[in-house]
Amino acid sequence: MQFVLKNILHFMPLIFGIGFLGPLLAQIIQVLGWQASLGLAPLTLGLIVGGTWGAFAQFKGRWI
Amino acid sequence: MSGTLTQTDLRKKEIAIARKYADRLPWEAVAWGLGNLLVWLSLWPLVFLGVVPLWLGFIIATLNVMLCYLPSHEAQHDIIGRKGTKWRWLNELVGHVSTIPLVLPYRVAKLTHIQHHLHANKPDLDPDYSSMASGPWPAIWKSIQNRQPGASGGFNKYGDVLQDIGRPDVLLDGALFQLIHFGILIALAWSGYVLEAALLWWLPRQIGLTYIQFFLSWAPHHPADETGRYKDTRAFKSMWGNIGSMGMQYHIVHHLHPYIPLTDTPRAYREMRDILELRGCRLEEI
Repeated sequence: MQFVLKNILHFMPLIFGIGFLGPLLAQIIQVLGWQASLGLAPLTLGLIVGGTWGAFAQFKGRWI
Repeated sequence: MSGTLTQTDLRKKEIAIARKYADRLPWEAVAWGLGNLLVWLSLWPLVFLGVVPLWLGFIIATLNVMLCYLPSHEAQHDIIGRKGTKWRWLNELVGHVSTIPLVLPYRVAKLTHIQHHLHANKPDLDPDYSSMASGPWPAIWKSIQNRQPGASGGFNKYGDVLQDIGRPDVLLDGALFQLIHFGILIALAWSGYVLEAALLWWLPRQIGLTYIQFFLSWAPHHPADETGRYKDTRAFKSMWGNIGSMGMQYHIVHHLHPYIPLTDTPRAYREMRDILELRGCRLEEI
């Protein structure tokens, strides 16, 4: 149990980036009426940005 | 007050004043803690059903998070009900539930806060020392920095302290709280309620943590360069007033006599001010 918890929390920046920031950015894009380039759907773009940001936070240890 | 009073006289007078404010059940803290939680919980259905607009929900939720710590703080010091007394269950209830919006487990808060009282301003031992900074803006920036995943301060320092005092078991509380918090946020995000999750919990928590760490940790101890009973904290005048600074103007009374309810510290301070002055305490413009 402790091992599972520890590992989930260890990867939380990446999980949070994809699981929360991705849909959040997609929703913000939709609310603001922005058009993503390359015909990307808002959720796809949100997941790319959120996932990249989460990966940055995961490896660098900071969001900003 | 006569300058010929001995240290023992001063101590006796100080304790006599403090004892007047002991043993009162602070019902206002109970109502504050439980009422604040109920308001925050009720925001969710009210916003989801469109009864309360999201922008208003965000403002209320932010206030809820800012307000949620202090009732638990009263419980951490057993002010609502000491062990073995009839209101002990209420003390523990307020302690456990009031900080839910902040995602701070009671046992983590209590154990680390006691260490803060024992070792205030000692860099390696004070769990809150990482919030120290040279001024107000650096303090806000420090609070944000301490919240980064790889930070060594803030809640990450709490983990180290729990290990050091031989209570690694309590780390599980923190891990479960974090997991449930993120689990709920992610579940809401993928259920079409991501803005609600962000504006009723995630962002209010970030703002609330900054506010709490600024006023409850940085401001009352700044510049945090001295240790000792009468030196490790101060009385100060805040531009936000005593309510805006959550009663922290009189934090020195709390550190000297942690059993005094928060709302009684201004009166106790005014009564013992002369004694504190003779003790050489930092009483700044108040």
